[in-house]
Amino acid sequence: MKDCIKTNRNLVAFLYGELNEFDKNQVEAHLESCQKCKAELLELKEVYEAADLLNVDMEKAIESVDWENFPTRIADGVFDKEPSREKRPRRAGLWPFLFQPRFRLVYAGILLGIIVGAVVTFLIFRSPPLQVAVGGKIIVPQGFYDMMELEMARRDTIDYLDRSEYLLLDFVQSPLEKSIEFWQSDYAAQRALDLLSKKKYIDPQLDKIKLAKAKVICDQIELLFFELMQISDELSMEELKKIQRLIQERKLLLKIKLVRKELQKSEV
Amino acid sequence: MHTQKKNQQDEISILVERVKSGDRESFMTLTRLYQRKVFQLAYSYFRNKEDALDIVQETFLRFYQKSHMFQKGKNFQNWLLQLAKNICIDYYRKHHKKDNELRREENIEEVNQTSHESSHHDPSSDFKEIFSRCLAKLSDKQRMIFVMKHYNHLHYSEIAQILNIALGTVKSHHFKAVRNLRTLMSPYIGRIE
Repeated sequence: MKDCIKTNRNLVAFLYGELNEFDKNQVEAHLESCQKCKAELLELKEVYEAADLLNVDMEKAIESVDWENFPTRIADGVFDKEPSREKRPRRAGLWPFLFQPRFRLVYAGILLGIIVGAVVTFLIFRSPPLQVAVGGKIIVPQGFYDMMELEMARRDTIDYLDRSEYLLLDFVQSPLEKSIEFWQSDYAAQRALDLLSKKKYIDPQLDKIKLAKAKVICDQIELLFFELMQISDELSMEELKKIQRLIQERKLLLKIKLVRKELQKSEV
Repeated sequence: MHTQKKNQQDEISILVERVKSGDRESFMTLTRLYQRKVFQLAYSYFRNKEDALDIVQETFLRFYQKSHMFQKGKNFQNWLLQLAKNICIDYYRKHHKKDNELRREENIEEVNQTSHESSHHDPSSDFKEIFSRCLAKLSDKQRMIFVMKHYNHLHYSEIAQILNIALGTVKSHHFKAVRNLRTLMSPYIGRIE
């Protein structure tokens, strides 16, 4: 059985004379004693003989060719058609097809579209760059400065209104005798003075359109403090009452609250 | 014997060197020497004289273009047949693949019946036709190895060199090719005498 498998594997090579002497003898010896392998060899021989039938056609075809002149024909084709080795016939393929001159306009259009698209996308989506000037200072756009100024003015105004409110509350809610005393104290004078100087500082900022309402109320407060400072030394009870009434009538404290709330909402 | 073969190889190498420098006569001498070998390979592959002649012409043109790639000392015949084999495969894919697929779909039994119906049929030509179709059913590699072995009478070692594969692979493909042919032809063996 083992011999059959080995012989079977070698039968084709045996048929074509490709076995070495040793293997050939082994196959021959096995074939003499094994009918099955012999039958197998006969079948393979039939294939071999069938293949040989085509040899007749090939012989006929070979005979029908004019081999004497064929080399001349080939040489003519090779040496006459090809002036130099560099100019070899190019094989048709995808790349030569894609790079045909007739597609020039199409490719130019595609390229132009890509460039325009890229520029437009860049212009729409770009963020303003931070520019660094000589010396390492960062240059920011003018719009950024304006926003910063407005935000600073807003915060300063809120602070000014807060402090004014506290001072006015101290002044309005105290009994009359205490109010005179309070107003004539250095402490109140200093606070009023601070507020007046603060007002001068924020004045240019209040000119901005968005802070117009705040400017009106701040001006009123400034005027009030200014007058109080002028007359504080000889402030009579009557005048004090009059000023307190004025503050209440004009609803100065309420206006301060409203404007402050508005300013707090409109954070830049 | 060995010396004679070596001298022959040296002479061929000299001719190839001359072809590299554009010598027409040397080119024609080499063509004369090997044109039949290339024709045999191509004819056994395509079973068609015109196709085989095209392959011969294309092979020698390719030889001239690639002669600078031939290394001195190598077997020229094997190198040339390697070119021919590549051209055969390209040519087959370009011109015959579709035809053969259609032919493969046509039952071999139909060929047998048609020929029997005809009054002047030649049994050996039927068998040739059946064998041709069975051969076409083999894979490219098996077909090429069978053709090289049976019709070009090349040794396994030469086929291995031409196809650039291992000797064992050649043996195995040849074995499978013959076995497959036997299986494909088994219904017809003995029927057509």
